[in-house]
Amino acid sequence: MHKTSLFSQNVAISILVSFTGCALLYIALIGPIIAALAVLILALTLMVVAERTGKVEHLYRALACHQGKSLTVIIVFVLILPLILSNNYLLHVAVMGGIYSIVALGLNFQVGTGMVNFATAAFFGTGAYTSALLAINFGLSPWLTTVFGMVAAASLGIIFGFPALKTRGYYLSLITMSLQIIFTLMIINTSWLGGPNGIPNIPAYSLGATSLRMPIIIFGMDFPYQANYLYLVYSLLGLAMFVALRLHNSRTGLAWNAIEQDEIVAITQGINLTKSKLLAFALGAAFAGLAGGLYGHYTSFIGVEDFDFSKSLVFICMVLLGGMDNPLGVVLGALMLTIIDEKLRDFADYRMLMYSVILIIILLARPQGLLPKRIRIYQAAKSIVNLKI
Amino acid sequence: MNVLQTEALTINFGGLKAVDAVDFTIKDEVIGLLGPNGSGKTTFLNLVSGIYKPTSGKIVFEQADITGAGPNVVRKKGIARTFQTNRLCLNLSIIDNLLLGLYSQQKATWWQSLLQPKRCNKELIRGIEKCLEILHHFNPSLVARAYEPITAIPLIDRRRIEIARSIVGSPRLLLLDEPTAGLNAEETSQIIGDIGKIRNGNEKISMIIIEHDMVVISSICHRVVVLNAGKKIADDCFSEVCKNEQVCKAYLGG
Repeated sequence: MHKTSLFSQNVAISILVSFTGCALLYIALIGPIIAALAVLILALTLMVVAERTGKVEHLYRALACHQGKSLTVIIVFVLILPLILSNNYLLHVAVMGGIYSIVALGLNFQVGTGMVNFATAAFFGTGAYTSALLAINFGLSPWLTTVFGMVAAASLGIIFGFPALKTRGYYLSLITMSLQIIFTLMIINTSWLGGPNGIPNIPAYSLGATSLRMPIIIFGMDFPYQANYLYLVYSLLGLAMFVALRLHNSRTGLAWNAIEQDEIVAITQGINLTKSKLLAFALGAAFAGLAGGLYGHYTSFIGVEDFDFSKSLVFICMVLLGGMDNPLGVVLGALMLTIIDEKLRDFADYRMLMYSVILIIILLARPQGLLPKRIRIYQAAKSIVNLKI
Repeated sequence: MNVLQTEALTINFGGLKAVDAVDFTIKDEVIGLLGPNGSGKTTFLNLVSGIYKPTSGKIVFEQADITGAGPNVVRKKGIARTFQTNRLCLNLSIIDNLLLGLYSQQKATWWQSLLQPKRCNKELIRGIEKCLEILHHFNPSLVARAYEPITAIPLIDRRRIEIARSIVGSPRLLLLDEPTAGLNAEETSQIIGDIGKIRNGNEKISMIIIEHDMVVISSICHRVVVLNAGKKIADDCFSEVCKNEQVCKAYLGG
């Protein structure tokens, strides 16, 4: 009797938590800037309350046991989003949120290894430029060029990773900042890379004869073209989340966390620091490169302002706000910051100020972010009787 | 059959010979490494474990030359160590800290974690079972708390976790750097018991122990090596070393 009521209680909790999360994001998306900030403060308050009353472990456990049900709620939400949003601009914001979430998941690999990387926008840009230029100049399919973009970004990740190997902490961050600035200057000063004018007329993805930049009709209802990209981006985000979570709970993820904690411990347990750090750089850059390719083929125009140092700062903010080394946290951080950033378009002068203010408040009041880093729980080892979760 | 031998092992830190032409051998036994502060004991362990590269001399482990190999290579070959300052990963759980000890013996790569989850899960489950078994030997009450962060347990248990981490990967040689530093007499005798359990267990693990506590040394060491100012000045059983004039001079002064 007691067991079934606990079971249904956990099911209810997991459905309620995912539904509430989607509802809060929806409110932040459709409301004015005040609504978005209120949602952020509410979410932070709820987390603090859950932690103080000790309920947070119960919530996480319920979610872990019923991942399928929470996932269903989220999938339904994404599917019906074009129907419940009143205008295409908001749909566009949702697409951008998804794209930036993929970047944030990639950056999280590096941050989780103790490397705060300020060159993420360069990886994002490498994916975008590689994919766009190959598609325009060689007429290759955007699907294929996006993959090339990922490879190019991963390669740049390894190249940028090498100087980072010998440095730690602040020095590593400073080196990545310099590399980011070099990247931006290189783009501006190279005409075949578009120079300061950027690259227009980037082809869209197409499935057979249908381009994704055309509106579609499903079950007799008109969907704007942004819906196509919404489904594409969020499917890829789902895949990225899966990869991030699997890596986090694996031997590789443990090595990354050991490096972040104490490099001497890591190396004396047999971890090859060079390989591990370069892997974090390469995989993180690959994620950013994928997002860059998606970005270029979605917006059809890319300019160097989209991939400069201030963009790198934005990605760092997303990871900090959402919760370092918590994959779900960084996605939520990316979504919230994308929404808040769009709402602040009306206050153009205050946008960068807003990031600085958020950063300061988070670092002072809740440095662990919205969803703090969690102790690893090995779901695969549930059957081991002595290992109590 | 020597497990480890060093030949004229030397390291020079800009003119200061921290370890000076030390010849050392160890078979299947426990050797105590003694000497006053600054005599080069920890430096010697750092050389053997690969953290420092020697200026000259050789290190041979199980008939293979490992001179100059990095710490991660040395660990994979089968030499594990603990640290004077009890280095654990503080924001990881107890089980994660123990699993780190198995890292060098496991094989799952990042793409296998994505594409071959079943195989990786098997390796993980075997690893967790081994860690819990070793944890049970050291402190059964911790097994139920395996997911708690390291910060939740007292110093003596952290020492045990560090020792457990170093043996869970079945090393051939274990280097212990002052395992009882900061512990009281009761806790010290518990650690002596734990080390005895390791020696009485199934696996042959040779040990080099740096200690200042002579009770520990006399109860578990077969032999004792004494360093002073980087040079080896004695190499004998404990009772003989106690009578050695040079040793007394090194500890108590001329």
